[in-house]
Amino acid sequence: MDDISIQFEEVLRRHLRLTKPNAINYDMELAQLGLDSMTAVAVLLDMEKTFNIRFPDDMLVEGTFRTAQRLKEAVQLLRERQAS
Amino acid sequence: MTRPLPDASLGSEWTILELLARGIVDEPERQMVRDLLLTDTLNWGELLEQALRHKMVPMLAYNIISADLRFDIPTSIYQHLESALEWNRWQMEVFRRETVRVAQRLATRGIHFVVTKGIAFESTLYGGLGTRCMNDIDFMIAPRDREAVLSMMQELGFRPYFDWAKDPRREEISSRLNPDHLPKLMREIDRPGTRIINVDVANSLTWTKSPFDVPVEEALEDIVEQAVPGMPGVYLPCFRPIYQFLFTVLHLFREAWLQKFVDFGNDVSLMKFGDVIRLIDRDCDKLTDSELRRIMETHDITRPVAWVLRNLDDTFHTHTLKLLALEQRGEEGLLASQMQSSGYVRASGQSMRQRLQSKTRDSSRPVSPTRSGS
Repeated sequence: MDDISIQFEEVLRRHLRLTKPNAINYDMELAQLGLDSMTAVAVLLDMEKTFNIRFPDDMLVEGTFRTAQRLKEAVQLLRERQAS
Repeated sequence: MTRPLPDASLGSEWTILELLARGIVDEPERQMVRDLLLTDTLNWGELLEQALRHKMVPMLAYNIISADLRFDIPTSIYQHLESALEWNRWQMEVFRRETVRVAQRLATRGIHFVVTKGIAFESTLYGGLGTRCMNDIDFMIAPRDREAVLSMMQELGFRPYFDWAKDPRREEISSRLNPDHLPKLMREIDRPGTRIINVDVANSLTWTKSPFDVPVEEALEDIVEQAVPGMPGVYLPCFRPIYQFLFTVLHLFREAWLQKFVDFGNDVSLMKFGDVIRLIDRDCDKLTDSELRRIMETHDITRPVAWVLRNLDDTFHTHTLKLLALEQRGEEGLLASQMQSSGYVRASGQSMRQRLQSKTRDSSRPVSPTRSGS
């Protein structure tokens, strides 16, 4: 599977308080980077469009996007499911 | 109760709707509405458009018909208003029957619930005259019953749907992430005049992660029943007056502050403020009791309640803040500091009255003129 890091981070940067040169801390809670209930919806929608995936209902929970790492893993999982 | 008549600075059309929204309580108000309706310069297009925006067409129709103005206003408009009132009454009848159908099933399953908003108000606050508009039927349940109720509603022929929203997928994700309501539910009935019935089931008095809330379980602890017009012996459970008031006010607060309601064109309206005025008029003795104050302090909701009432008083020339001894509460600055999410409406220089009248709700939350920045 392709590395999605660049596109993934671009999506996050579109919605969160991230300055371009800063590296994204994948273990930091996204809430600390400005993710609230409205931006969470926008981020998930953008991920779906960017990676042509669809989050199933059981993944539409806070745990899926608590950190960038978790969200990236979820996106990768859905891409793999789609490819298989 | 005598209240100052509204100033007509926003036009005759707007003044008529303000008077009707707060409820005609005496002869000077009745006469003012009549005089304004008979003004030569009255702009019927403006009046009808604003009545539509504020879901007040049936109420306007009822007042024109009951004032016997048939031969004093344009015939085509009179006939249309007559039809609109009749249609609303029919719709109400369909809604009542469906509400009872759902309520009976909920009761059979042992679900603790109440009906709220339009279906609770139309036969009580609005006298069952068919003047209160309703888009859907509203229920309130406890969060623990969400799955059971969703499953039961599907057995009754309802299905979740998101197509009402401009971006259905956004709404679907939002609904999952913010479980203060079940997804909107619809059932096709295909009856003349009413193709579908929408049901909205809430499980919070405000919204997910709101800084202000009252536990639903507490509000459902001690409820009352109200009769259903035209269905002898049938009753629906409702909040008792204090919780009915708190829910209605907090709901209005929610719609005033959450951007998504502005985006959807469904935020504050004259009719929603009218509900609050009528509740206070009806339940004044219960709302001035110390229990209301105790509940507001226990749940730290005094500020949003006072914010709504301050805007209500500024708009409708009522004195609800004084009545409930909340004159010193509802500070805009403190509230704004608690409402910092990107989903909340930003402050503007508009008054609530201007926001209500504005046809482009692209702007934002008004800052109360008497308390801004305090």
